[in-house]
Amino acid sequence: MESSVLFLLNTSYAVLTLALVVLGLAIIFGLLGVLNMAHGEFVAIGAYCAFAVQSAGLPLILSLPLAIITTGAVGWLIEASVIRHLYKRPFDTLLATWGLSILLREGIELAFGLEYRSVSEPVSGSVRLLGVDYPIYRIMLMVALLIGFAALYVWYRRSNAGVRVRAMIANPQLATIVGIDTQKLARLAFAAGAASAGLAGAMLAPLVRIEPFMGIDFLLQSFFVLVVGGLGSLEGLFIGSSLIGGAESAGSTLMGGTAGYVTVLLISILFLWLKPEGLHARR
Amino acid sequence: MDRRAFLSSSAMALAASQLPRVATAQATPVGKPLKLGFLIPRSGTAGLFGPSSEACIELAVNKINAEGGILGRPIEALLGDAGGAPSDTVQAAQRMWRRDGVEAIVGEHGSASREAVAGALRGQLPYVYSPVNEGGYCTDGVFTTGETPSQQLAPAIPYLAKERSIKRWYLIGNDYSWPRITNAAAKEFIEDSGGEVVGEEYHPFTTDNFDSSLANIRDSGAEAVLINLVGGASVVFNRAYASFGLDKQALRLGTLIEENTLAGIGAENSGDLYSVSGYFDALDTPAALAFRKTYYDTFGVDAPVLNTLGQSCFEAVLFLQAVIEKAGETSIDAITAASEGISYSGPRGDVTMSGRFVNANIYLAKAEGTEFKIIENFGGIASGTTCSI
Repeated sequence: MESSVLFLLNTSYAVLTLALVVLGLAIIFGLLGVLNMAHGEFVAIGAYCAFAVQSAGLPLILSLPLAIITTGAVGWLIEASVIRHLYKRPFDTLLATWGLSILLREGIELAFGLEYRSVSEPVSGSVRLLGVDYPIYRIMLMVALLIGFAALYVWYRRSNAGVRVRAMIANPQLATIVGIDTQKLARLAFAAGAASAGLAGAMLAPLVRIEPFMGIDFLLQSFFVLVVGGLGSLEGLFIGSSLIGGAESAGSTLMGGTAGYVTVLLISILFLWLKPEGLHARR
Repeated sequence: MDRRAFLSSSAMALAASQLPRVATAQATPVGKPLKLGFLIPRSGTAGLFGPSSEACIELAVNKINAEGGILGRPIEALLGDAGGAPSDTVQAAQRMWRRDGVEAIVGEHGSASREAVAGALRGQLPYVYSPVNEGGYCTDGVFTTGETPSQQLAPAIPYLAKERSIKRWYLIGNDYSWPRITNAAAKEFIEDSGGEVVGEEYHPFTTDNFDSSLANIRDSGAEAVLINLVGGASVVFNRAYASFGLDKQALRLGTLIEENTLAGIGAENSGDLYSVSGYFDALDTPAALAFRKTYYDTFGVDAPVLNTLGQSCFEAVLFLQAVIEKAGETSIDAITAASEGISYSGPRGDVTMSGRFVNANIYLAKAEGTEFKIIENFGGIASGTTCSI
């Protein structure tokens, strides 16, 4: 009983944090068709923001706005200087963002060195839930993420901005004709995707290892989710996160960490082979 | 040279000028510089050991040069990063040896890098391996000054089994030779103490989610967890361990939980955590206190906290000083011959080499917040490994 409560909590944690990490990549890939290879580095920048805030002796909550502003600004600059010229050229954007990821990684290394850093949790200790001790910070994170995703979903379905974004995706030319500034919208979308990755990094900073190469793991995980879930919809994102997060969690609980990872790889390969559109593709 | 080092060495020179002639000649080394290479982790999961190691090397070099160097030659330290893949460490070692002309190498890094570097040096250059290690290897040219499982775990496991009535042990480590061989030795000590191993797991250095391991530890009913994780991985594991409330179920014993790791784990997550080592910042023997005083006087109270790995770098230089002085030269044959039975006195006390490994005084400490408190002195213990000379 207690083991299954723990398993459920761990799996929910894995799924929610995965969805948080993938969100930024899904926004940029889904809305702009850009495969952002530098996604993981935005997550890393967010985590380093948390490290910087804590090193400076400031309250950790400040890392959230700092991460959003920093990664949002970097995203904005990258869109304006590089990505803007490369829309509709998928392979070129792949190469360009791959180059950018190396540049960002080197930048992080210059600023913070190659050492592993760690950020301590703003609230420590555990709470007892159905007979199981579970870390308070994780519970808080999960609740915040549930609320955040629900709000995002409602906004995306209801608001005007959501409609415009969807119009831009559905038919860019027509969207321009009816007066939607697609260029500005694209830049905003890219910055928002980057900022969401940065926010993920800052929120997860107390729970992960922080080093310049940390981004690669996040990028890989995010790809698997998109492969399974399909592109361009929030529903797909959740389905993908649940499948990948759940499979990894179950695999590693039953057979150990390596087996968990192998399960995820197998699922991704099967999907690429048999259902390349994913489970819930937009198109 | 920074200002403080400059001031202290000029003060030393001034003091020396007041001494009789012979002493003056000894206090200012004049020969060709003796270059020593140091491979220490400055990146990766062990990177948190880097700053204190660097400081200890500086301290050792200053000390020996102030005493007149080795064979009258001033020593010069060259640092290389050993925090990455073994192949990168080998490159750093090759550069030191072939390009910079170091006459000995000190390694404070993982055992995978040690095997790789020793292979590249082909037993032609004295290579002092200073950190905690798995013992049992006799690679040519390697002199080991760190603690082995026979020194750390042979006394610590029975002690905890008895004092805390521990029967069920869970073993967790990073996935390479040191944790695996150490755990193989640990299993014997656990069986001899009447206990059993209820689980054993190895993780890559990049693992930062230990959820499934923690669930397994919980379900196994373990009463103690032996941790052979390194640096950053150990920090992440130990934090999660306590935040899941497992510190109330099972005590933790670490073979490499030094002061920097403990600082990362944090006071709120260090409940029921033991560490076994030949050196702690909290060690209050006269030799350790003298070392400690010089260290914090030199680098200030905000210096990277002293620990077994930094100390091991300092001691490796003392070993080289003793062995090169005895050999009268730096050739590998002379040094190998001179190493047998050589003694020197360092922060851990008097150390004697036998079969290219050393005896060591071993202490068990318990974490209190982010500091260690020494609770048991196991005395001097032999390495359990004897290599032919």
